[in-house]
Amino acid sequence: MDLIANLATGFAVSLTPANLGFCFLGALIGTLVGVLPGIAPITTIAILLPFTFSLPPSSSLIMLAGIFYGAQYGGSTTAILVNVPGESSSIVTCLDGHQMAKQGRAGPALAIAAIASFVAGTIATVVIATASAPLTWFALKFNAAEYFSLMVLGLTGSVVLAHGAPEKAIAMVLVGLLLGLVGIDVNSGSPRMTMDLADLGDGIGFVPIAIGMFGIAELAVTLGRPQDRSLLSVKLRDLWPSWAEIRQCIPAMLRGTAIGSILGVLPGGGAALSSFAAYGVEKKTSRNPERFGRGAIEGVAAPEAANNAGAQTSFIPLLTLGIPGNAIMALMVGAMMIQGIQPGPQVMVNQPGLFWGVITSMWLGNVMLIVLNLPMIGLWVALLRVPFRLMFPAIVLFCCIGTYSAGNTVFDIWVMLLFGVLGVFFYKVGAEPAPFVLGFVLGPMMEENFRRAMYISRGDPLVFVQRPISAVLLVMAVILLIILVLPSIRAKREEVFQE
Amino acid sequence: MRARINIPDLAFAAFLVALGALAFALASQLNVGTAAAMGPGYVPRGLATLIMIYGLALGLRAMLAARLAFPAVELRPLLLISGSVVLFAILLPIAGLALASFALVICAGYAAYDVRFRENTISALTLAAFAVVLFVVALSLPIPVWPW
Repeated sequence: MDLIANLATGFAVSLTPANLGFCFLGALIGTLVGVLPGIAPITTIAILLPFTFSLPPSSSLIMLAGIFYGAQYGGSTTAILVNVPGESSSIVTCLDGHQMAKQGRAGPALAIAAIASFVAGTIATVVIATASAPLTWFALKFNAAEYFSLMVLGLTGSVVLAHGAPEKAIAMVLVGLLLGLVGIDVNSGSPRMTMDLADLGDGIGFVPIAIGMFGIAELAVTLGRPQDRSLLSVKLRDLWPSWAEIRQCIPAMLRGTAIGSILGVLPGGGAALSSFAAYGVEKKTSRNPERFGRGAIEGVAAPEAANNAGAQTSFIPLLTLGIPGNAIMALMVGAMMIQGIQPGPQVMVNQPGLFWGVITSMWLGNVMLIVLNLPMIGLWVALLRVPFRLMFPAIVLFCCIGTYSAGNTVFDIWVMLLFGVLGVFFYKVGAEPAPFVLGFVLGPMMEENFRRAMYISRGDPLVFVQRPISAVLLVMAVILLIILVLPSIRAKREEVFQE
Repeated sequence: MRARINIPDLAFAAFLVALGALAFALASQLNVGTAAAMGPGYVPRGLATLIMIYGLALGLRAMLAARLAFPAVELRPLLLISGSVVLFAILLPIAGLALASFALVICAGYAAYDVRFRENTISALTLAAFAVVLFVVALSLPIPVWPW
């Protein structure tokens, strides 16, 4: 069996003491930021990115991945106990999870959230392992035209699934693509749009942009809002749900995992969307839907399974095609490129240890998380009592030091500040930063493939529709756009984001 | 015909037009080339033009849309957080990490409406020490610690 051999290769990498340590560290930091509202995993990954430069590539990716799925665990703790989602992906967990806590069943709610996440994480790991090989084989046939079309599809997906007005998301993608081109052109060696600043020769730094928009801007916006955190004083006497409850949740977990696994792979998809969809499905298929919103345990199990599965399978497009499906994956591309790895199907062929090491570490991370979470809930609750006014100056400090250390230049701190202020502006006008970041990362790759495809076709743009795979990808992008403008679906989409 | 103009949309549109125009001007000296052999200026100019047109269309729509005021901007957190970053950027090369961190935390702390003087000062001292220990001693990043 190929799969077994591949997993063995992976465990050989992920089970080394150093990598186990980084996996644990990532899962721990992830849980921590997941628990704390106001600090998103994307901010954390952006801030920690510069500090992973000196690590070997596998350790760096294992740790960053751990932060991402760890945050899905942590986010549910806050949702259940405080009724404030620690992460956007735990919003629906608030509905039934907090109701359970109010009825004195916080313990079972937390436990089922952890169990559902673990089950989903395990299944999703297998899904990644089985889906990756055929996809990679497929992707190796890709040419410049196919890559270009695939990126068009990915960006379209990020527009469709962005919150807020899609026409603004499209504009943000274009702005991202444009800013991604700043710097020296690889083909001609001439500096482009650098305003004669030597610091811009290598382009605008990815780290200062990401930290500025997701760190500084988020903080400035969050501090403007009143903070509400009435912590339920919970006694965690009865931690374990009864067997009957667990049995009741198994179908919900499996449905949630399936929904999450599919939605996670879609461009622009990921954890948050998966949890909404899974909750909706549970409510619709339940024999007594009126229980939902009043402490139904399936209402916790399904979205928690879905967000964890979605978080993990969103690595599939990144690892096999080299295309980030959401903003966090765009950060992972940044992490890989800084390590000198060009993301794409070649990674699995040339560096199987890295590829399978990261995948197997996800399962190990899930095991650690369940061990980490259940006995340590008391500690996380204590952390929630630390006032935000003490926490955020530390975050600002880490943003600055992180940005500085990425390039050892103060220039990057100014860039970070600029994008922090811009980020606040974008927030106020209702434009999402995620499509921008995706466009920024894909910009240079897209231009490169566009130029190459047009060169090969001698300037004939029809090449993108004459090659079958490329044509199919573009048709899918067009269908997505049509769906977006159809009024009925548009109303539905707004409804989904409203909930 | 009363109460028109969606201000946030109009502001975003103005930003797009300005950015597009700036990029177009900056890319204007670059060689465009042909579709078969694109120069470094081909894609940037194309994108800049697209963004300008898109911004104009969005702006036109905003002018005709129903009235929507620009949302209130909380100036205190925005200015104090930005200010603390400015302080850090200026102080780091001349005064070193310890003092720059201290100044940043003191300034940023006042961005919160419920700041307390003593608590904030203690937090600034602790974080400055922590930053030096973690980043310079433990992670040995090449950052100057003191002004001398």
